[in-house]
Amino acid sequence: MLASFPNMGLSRVAFKTLVECMGVDVVLPDPTNREAIKIGVKYSPEFVCFPFKATLGDLKNALDKGADTLIMAIDCGPCRFGFYASVQERLLKEMGYKNFRLIPLDQADLLSFRWLRLIFKIGPSNRLTLYTKALKAVRFFLKKAKHLEDIQTAEGIFRAYERNQGDTTRVVNKLVKQLDETNTIQGLRAFRNVIKDTFNNMDIDKTRNPLRVGISGEIHISLEPYVNLDIRRKLGEMGVLINQSISLYDWIVHKFHLNYHRKWLEHLARPHLPMDIGGEAVWVIGEYIDTATAGFDGFVHQYPFTCMPEVTARTIITNHLQKIYDLPVIYFSFDEQSGSEGFRTRLEAFVDLLHARRDKKIEDQKISIDAYKKIAYDHYGNNFYNECVQFVQTK
Amino acid sequence: MKVGIPRALHYYKFFPFWKKLFDELNVEIILSSPTNKKLVEVGVMHGFGELCLPVKVYYGHALQLVEEHPDLDFLFVPRYVSELKESYWCPKWISLPDVIKILPNCPRLLNFEVNVKEFPIATAVIELGKQLGKSQSASLEAYKKAQKYYDEYLEFLRKGVSVIHALRLVLRDVSFKVPKRKSKGSIKFLLLGHAYNLFDTYVNLDFAKKLNDQDVEVITIENLPEHIFKEQVIVNKKLLNYWRHEEEIMQAIRYFLTKGRNEIDGVIFLISFACGPDSLISELIMHDMKAVGIPYLAIIIDEHSGDAGLLTRIESFTDMIKRKKQKQRAASKQKIKSTIKVS
Ligand code: SF4
Ligand code: SF4
Repeated sequence: MLASFPNMGLSRVAFKTLVECMGVDVVLPDPTNREAIKIGVKYSPEFVCFPFKATLGDLKNALDKGADTLIMAIDCGPCRFGFYASVQERLLKEMGYKNFRLIPLDQADLLSFRWLRLIFKIGPSNRLTLYTKALKAVRFFLKKAKHLEDIQTAEGIFRAYERNQGDTTRVVNKLVKQLDETNTIQGLRAFRNVIKDTFNNMDIDKTRNPLRVGISGEIHISLEPYVNLDIRRKLGEMGVLINQSISLYDWIVHKFHLNYHRKWLEHLARPHLPMDIGGEAVWVIGEYIDTATAGFDGFVHQYPFTCMPEVTARTIITNHLQKIYDLPVIYFSFDEQSGSEGFRTRLEAFVDLLHARRDKKIEDQKISIDAYKKIAYDHYGNNFYNECVQFVQTK
Repeated sequence: MKVGIPRALHYYKFFPFWKKLFDELNVEIILSSPTNKKLVEVGVMHGFGELCLPVKVYYGHALQLVEEHPDLDFLFVPRYVSELKESYWCPKWISLPDVIKILPNCPRLLNFEVNVKEFPIATAVIELGKQLGKSQSASLEAYKKAQKYYDEYLEFLRKGVSVIHALRLVLRDVSFKVPKRKSKGSIKFLLLGHAYNLFDTYVNLDFAKKLNDQDVEVITIENLPEHIFKEQVIVNKKLLNYWRHEEEIMQAIRYFLTKGRNEIDGVIFLISFACGPDSLISELIMHDMKAVGIPYLAIIIDEHSGDAGLLTRIESFTDMIKRKKQKQRAASKQKIKSTIKVS
């Protein structure tokens, strides 16, 4: 058996562990690229949302590389996502791939443990080894996912302070590679410190006062740098500190009903959107309010073109929340036609606007920039975020 | 008490139910006008590009009510989440009250949440009654009557009456009587799509009439017998379709793929640009149609759809089918002749 799954940025490191710990070989699709997307677009329904097309391209690529078992997450309703796996399976069969199976990873409610079926399907037949292996797989998966989240968090902060452009990116790549190769529980336990030390040893300029921007949106777009034109890196290299709480780990913990951060965001969003309508809509709205209250300078909302829930979230932010919270927001809807030309200009204009607003605020309120930076309220960000912020702010 | 109802979106599906309900509760209904150019323009201006046209049109209707009837006590924007345990409506339906309540000068919304995953519809009706100052028993009584009336309405549609005609009767408070002269044509099409695309004659450029002019008889899924919709469609083992309306479409299609194969000559699917559910369903249907050889045409409508282009496409599609049918007829005659000769 040779298993594979579609790309979602760095998450592949965690998924890989999950499957490998079950004693199954894994072949990864090539990192999302132009060719894969072209193929995805060619075989997908014309008006389907972009993640469908991108992941179809990945799956085909994986089959070409010899995979015979594809794993695809599903989630039944209310959005299109629940249809992905089965429609894609049909399309692949029509494209001439006959000998593969597609195993859905039902994540509608992880507490119902339907996802265990996946493990039973691919795991060894001996029950005892199966259980020990499954336990290890899940443990390693969660640990790696958490470390990936921390790397993402630190990345968003440190890039705004790096002296040599590209340092942060190099550090991230190195850490991810190292994490991929760490396959003992001791190694994984110690890894948090590895992340901290590596970032703390970077050559950074602590005297800077970067703008702070929150970023949120549909999960596949948010996590896959190729499709979001590496927006977080671009913003960072313009000297902006960013925080994105959306990550694979964040999502999984949410599905186990243990994500208090997301519960908090739902609470904030409730008066404006009282229920989950698919995608990240509810949490995007919560995040917008949270970011505004934390005294950030701006907000980025990214989603696939015509994404149903996110379009609703956007409507509510533009028509209503922006008037109340007065936090500038920029929207990016991505599809196969997104090019980096207009994209860069729009980002730059946004950053300029934020600078001008901040300068004006500081002048109007007659406060120092240091005082301005402190307006963040306590709830904002997870522990690791706050540790990193503290590190870069203490001289 | 005056309640405004936008003549758009779920209006085309549930209006008879609402009307009876409000009549029984002694509430006056103010409907927005049928869709027109100005209204679409306002809606389009208000909703941005990536929204599907039906929601933009809904904005137009809501805004018209707000502007022309400042004395409304409530605007009725129901929240349809799910009507059957395993199903959902599209995310944009679910969040409709949330995007409408933030329109400028919007009056209070009359909440009505259909969400059988959480509570029965009767509860929703009682809540609705409360906001209107009605007692629980009055609300329940009204609900019973409304449901009965709505069932009659659905039964009436199954006799082959078009939704447009039936809604007209509902509006005029006329009893349901099947018209004597039913439309006939030399060929018969199944017209698929969301009710608000099929029956809003402004939005779809009077599509059904264009077909009738071509001597085509049109049926929609509302006209099909009930038993077709009893069983769930299995796309494949992994997928339980969870969209209510799409499920109905697929059930209808399943019927024509199998038993009903010879009852229709073609299928046309009207799709709104940027509609999420349809983007996937239409793909599934297209493949099925190809497999059994039923002619299939998908037409995507948006605010820029033009009369002329549409007409050409319909004409060439119907011509193609008519020709095919003639050939078939000639062939079968030939066959009969030859069999006679042999014997
Ligand atoms: S949330 Fe957006 S991207 Fe995801 S399935 Fe729904 S429409 Fe597609
Ligand atoms: S079902 Fe399609 S057309 Fe209807 S509201 Fe949803 S996205 Fe729009």
